[in-house]
Amino acid sequence: MTETMEISTRTLDQVTVVEINGNLDGTTAIMAEEIIGDHCQEGTRLVLDLRQVSYMSSMGLRLLLLISRKLADLHGCMALVGLSDDLKETMSITGFLDHFATYDALEEGVSALQQEKE
Amino acid sequence: MRPLMVPGKRDSLVRIGDYVVEAGRLGGLCRRDVYRLHLAVDEIATNIVIHGYGRTGTEGMIEVSTTLDDRMLTVVVEDTARPFNPCLVPEPYDLDFPLESRKIGGLGIYLALQSVDTFAYEYVNRRNRNIFGMYRSGREPDP
Repeated sequence: MTETMEISTRTLDQVTVVEINGNLDGTTAIMAEEIIGDHCQEGTRLVLDLRQVSYMSSMGLRLLLLISRKLADLHGCMALVGLSDDLKETMSITGFLDHFATYDALEEGVSALQQEKE
Repeated sequence: MRPLMVPGKRDSLVRIGDYVVEAGRLGGLCRRDVYRLHLAVDEIATNIVIHGYGRTGTEGMIEVSTTLDDRMLTVVVEDTARPFNPCLVPEPYDLDFPLESRKIGGLGIYLALQSVDTFAYEYVNRRNRNIFGMYRSGREPDP
């Protein structure tokens, strides 16, 4: 089996939605970092849609941390959508969960970031 | 299951993951425990690929084997990179720090050791042996 991960991006009401489909691990996270990093501009409001991510290792956590820092430097903000119980547990063990804005539904994440703007 | 022998390269991580997930299923672990075992082995194997072989420019193999008894599924990951004992890595001190002051990296070993029921390390015949154990009932047996 070869590892595949797909990233698609769209804009919803001035919020950038990046959907990741596949695993975030040592094979894929660096590529994801490059692609998502390119979407981070001054003031970008970014929703990372993780509903189709069934596995995430510390390489994925590293990605979340790097993107969140980059956006903070650019006066942007980020929300995570659709974390599975497995991903939540990994983020909880490592102390990440409380520090990210997380939502179950995409609409919730998008609407929260829209309000962030005002 | 027959042992798996793969080059110590990034491309091998998916095969190692698939092998461990299959071992977990055959061992009758619940879905969550299969995930945790997979995560632990993947973190250590990724570390071997990046730091053990990659950073020192040495090449070598990673061997993964499993044993099953009534109580426990054991997975052993072996490599010939320089000796590295994950148990000696200090736990991260900044787990409750805000994101802006967190260290980037250093979480993989911690996650690996937290995710399995038992973990042991040996250095034998110039090989690192990382030994992961999961209780088959999904929890520790009564003493």
